[in-house]
Amino acid sequence: MGLLPFRGADSQTLRAGDKKGNTTLMSKRFTITRKHLFLLGISAILLLVMACAPDAKQSTFGTSGPVAEQQLLLFNVLLWVMVVVFLLVEGVLLYAVIKFRRRPGQDELPPQTHGHTALEITWTVIPTILILGLGIWSAVTLFNLDQPPAGADELEITVVGHQWWWEFEYPDADGNGTYITTANELRVPVDRAVRVNLRSDDVIHSFWIPKLAGKIDMVPTRENYMWFQADETGTYYGQCAEFCGTAHAQMKFLVQVLPQEDYLAWVENFGEPPTLSAQAQAGQTVFNSTGGCVVCHTATGSDQQAVVASRVQSFLTTETGIAPGPNLTDLATRERFGAGLVEMNRQNLRQWLKNPEDLKPGNHMSGRAAIYQTSDGRANLSETEISSLLEYLLSLK
Amino acid sequence: MATLTDVIDRPTSQSGLWSWITTVDHKRIGVLYGVTAFIFLLLGGIEAGVIRLQLSVPDSTLVSADTFNQMFTMHGTTMIFLVIMPLSASFFNFVIPLAIGARDVAFPRLNAFSYWVFLFGGLLLNASFLSNQAPDAGWFSYANLTEKPFSANQGLDYWALGLQVLGVSSLAAAFNFIVTIVNMRAPGMSLMRMPLFVWMTLVTSILLVLAFPVITVGLIELTFDRNFGTSFFVPEGGGDPILWQHLFWVFGHPEVYILILPAMGIVSEVLPTFSRKPLFGYPVVVFSGVVIGIMGWAVWSHHMFTVGLGPVAVTVFMITTMLIAVPTGVKIFNWIGTLWGGQIDLKTAMLFALGFVALFIVGGLSGVSHAVAPSDNQQQDTYYIVAHIHYVLFGGALFGIFSGVYYWFPKLTGKLFHEGLGKLHFWLYFIGMNVTFFPMHYLGLNGMPRRIYTYASEFGWDGLNLLASMGYLVLFVGTLIFIVNVLISLRKEPDAGHDPWDAPGLEWSIASPPPSYNFSKIPEVEGLDHYWIVKRRAAAEGRPVTEPEAYVDPSTIHMPDPSYWPLVTAIGVLVLAAGMLFDTGWDYIRFPIPFIGGIICFIGIIAWANEPPAKEHAVGDHHAEGGHGIEPHTGTATTAVMERPTGAATLTVRLLCSNCGNQLSSSFRFCPYCGGAVESPAEPDHQEG
Repeated sequence: MGLLPFRGADSQTLRAGDKKGNTTLMSKRFTITRKHLFLLGISAILLLVMACAPDAKQSTFGTSGPVAEQQLLLFNVLLWVMVVVFLLVEGVLLYAVIKFRRRPGQDELPPQTHGHTALEITWTVIPTILILGLGIWSAVTLFNLDQPPAGADELEITVVGHQWWWEFEYPDADGNGTYITTANELRVPVDRAVRVNLRSDDVIHSFWIPKLAGKIDMVPTRENYMWFQADETGTYYGQCAEFCGTAHAQMKFLVQVLPQEDYLAWVENFGEPPTLSAQAQAGQTVFNSTGGCVVCHTATGSDQQAVVASRVQSFLTTETGIAPGPNLTDLATRERFGAGLVEMNRQNLRQWLKNPEDLKPGNHMSGRAAIYQTSDGRANLSETEISSLLEYLLSLK
Repeated sequence: MATLTDVIDRPTSQSGLWSWITTVDHKRIGVLYGVTAFIFLLLGGIEAGVIRLQLSVPDSTLVSADTFNQMFTMHGTTMIFLVIMPLSASFFNFVIPLAIGARDVAFPRLNAFSYWVFLFGGLLLNASFLSNQAPDAGWFSYANLTEKPFSANQGLDYWALGLQVLGVSSLAAAFNFIVTIVNMRAPGMSLMRMPLFVWMTLVTSILLVLAFPVITVGLIELTFDRNFGTSFFVPEGGGDPILWQHLFWVFGHPEVYILILPAMGIVSEVLPTFSRKPLFGYPVVVFSGVVIGIMGWAVWSHHMFTVGLGPVAVTVFMITTMLIAVPTGVKIFNWIGTLWGGQIDLKTAMLFALGFVALFIVGGLSGVSHAVAPSDNQQQDTYYIVAHIHYVLFGGALFGIFSGVYYWFPKLTGKLFHEGLGKLHFWLYFIGMNVTFFPMHYLGLNGMPRRIYTYASEFGWDGLNLLASMGYLVLFVGTLIFIVNVLISLRKEPDAGHDPWDAPGLEWSIASPPPSYNFSKIPEVEGLDHYWIVKRRAAAEGRPVTEPEAYVDPSTIHMPDPSYWPLVTAIGVLVLAAGMLFDTGWDYIRFPIPFIGGIICFIGIIAWANEPPAKEHAVGDHHAEGGHGIEPHTGTATTAVMERPTGAATLTVRLLCSNCGNQLSSSFRFCPYCGGAVESPAEPDHQEG
């Protein structure tokens, strides 16, 4: 028993000559070292992750506010559990592979063990307990984060997803019933719970501001909600997380977290008629008639809900002509345009007006607006018209 | 229809192109599956290359948004449905009958049909590239982005119809393997003596049978929405896009286990062989595999934690998902237990199996982190998930499959892989895989969403994306090394012997490559790891087993005859599905072509049912039907029971393949069966019966 001839590939290799046999054995030792190094490498990367995380603009680390913080806390604990389990299990695996290597001339069979009941029970029960513990804690966090703390002074906002931009609706922006609609740049006060109703007018999108809260989907048939609260003022970056078609990568937005008084000032001044130069007035004419911008965009205050609804309806039922467009009121006060895409300045805006397809391929403005249905996709407007339109848009503040 | 089968003789060619087209031999079908799926693997790999190249630098303009969306859609769909599933099917085909001591699967012609339908489904899906209408809504194709107003071209029709066709193939194969495993095991092989790979194949096949109907319903509804104006998923018509998500993931999550369980089965074969000791805790490993298969049905909504199901539903799916880590962990512990105290021989197959375990641990751990719903709210739809799925499907499933390739290649061809190149392949894959996918964990946590074709440099994602793309190059080189290794190894002389690894499975007791009939004498299985028992007893008795089971004249063993009809029926299925792409716009017959496909199917099935055995078998053959049913009272194959030869048979052969011993016609320089060289007429075997 156990005196099996040492057969197979190894004997083949050895028969091929001592030299070859030797290199095989040497390379085996070498591979072990590399695997070892690799494990160290993985640990190093993990540490790197921990070290340099909070810098990035759209990171889930470096959070602000209770929602993202609790989600991060849960992840951080999980991460360390994972690191420990990883090092333990991979360590035992690696140890076994090194320790129990077959040595040359080892012809006796190793002990033919078939199992060990106590061990099986141990490594079933311990993970189960560990996991149920984590599960209960997670469930508690989940229910905690579902609603803002009772009695919080909530600001309610409705976000509507469109291909590929965001509509923000404040049913009551200042507690006095002020109704505001704006787009792509959300303004909220600091230290106040914001309750976000999530809807979509076309396909499924997902609303995500990594530093403030995890994502929740915006589904056409559903009225989802989430909440967040920013503890620090500043600019936060958000992005659509559910694949929603051609320009999904360019469906971004900004959240400006303002001190309470700045926020109220913004609400109060929203939609005040801007002062227009002569050129800007010419631009307004282009906006309202020659250019046809007004078919989809509003630039003079909040959108009427019925108007948006009819634009959506036309978008869904016809192939051409109309699509709901972002509200452009106070456009010049925004930091970016094109759904968080590029910085708001004259040069970028000119490029956008001339050929939006360059900046954001697939967008519905170049796809549907009459002035862009040209052979090269460039706006069917003269340089003068574009300049005055630009002047008008930059006066919207 | 009997007239048709009277006119057209049943094909008999054993060599040449026609023999491959009409084959019903499970080993050849396994090769067809494997080669086809490998070509699709290269295709899916190229698609991945386009993705990685595009993302290697910020603001890249290499490909357009639409092309990028087509690439990740087709990459995912290809790798799941055209690569990992059929590669697993390739192992089911080649290994299962050998591992259970059968001469073929229960329904050999249905098996051929499965292959052809799979091939046609894959071609149909990829034909979308020819009309520049590749599907572009992701491999999950969430409604209502897939509806007409948002996906006007025919990409989603190609996708839905292609997957329907592939579903037919998978279902046919799954039924075939369930019946084969349940009924055709050699005498003595009780369920708890089945090798682990057979067990996992059984579980996988049952999952397939239960899961595919769900996606079939979803795909039919999608096709109807797109072509006949229904509104299953159209909100404006009262439909619900979330319905699609439920249908997709009720299929999609068991599908994950369909992808991984076969690889777990392979690894459970390889680890004991190269540790020279039996699988640790065999019953526990079997049981945990079955438990995973069952629990896999109760976790699908963890793909939908951000959909807004409400905290109660989310909690339920969170706990079930976390608990599924327990049986998975138990498997890993038992694999380590198998290694413990063994004599580990780091052959390439073993390296890939160990790589599987090492990488699957990472995928399993990150899986737990997004089973936790509040934490998943940040990770869902980011590159963190991309990293996770590639650790389980690349580091897991594909490493397991490559382990199987290196393990069973000598059985298939009689030749050993070049070990040096094999190890180079492994290390390139292991390093490339980690360099490509590990940084993605961090990218995701750093806020990079999935499925974006471009990103701005300001978000700090550029460095790691470039690193990931360089990892892709390493994987690319690794794949080339593998191809070189296959080509080199196929050209050399057979050097494997019948049992190069001193393995425990039944398949190692017969010649390599196996003769067409597999076992001349159906073995009596004495226990788990039967061949170890046999070999060790023989060694103890002082006459070690050094030779495979003796070769007998194949004509003395009744084997299923080749057939045209599986192919004809499969063509019918293709025409039926592809015909749905041609809308005439007429009032009552908008889609005439599917009817033609239906008629071809009908003819094919009737002819299939009535086909007589090949003429040369017909005389004196008691199986007039030519089928290979199951003997009800013994539960073993009729072929095995009726045709068991007694003693050595006489061989009178004009030309033999020097390698596999197959009988060839003189027009071949290479054996079409094993690829071996045919140099000169072999000496006939002089044994007298």
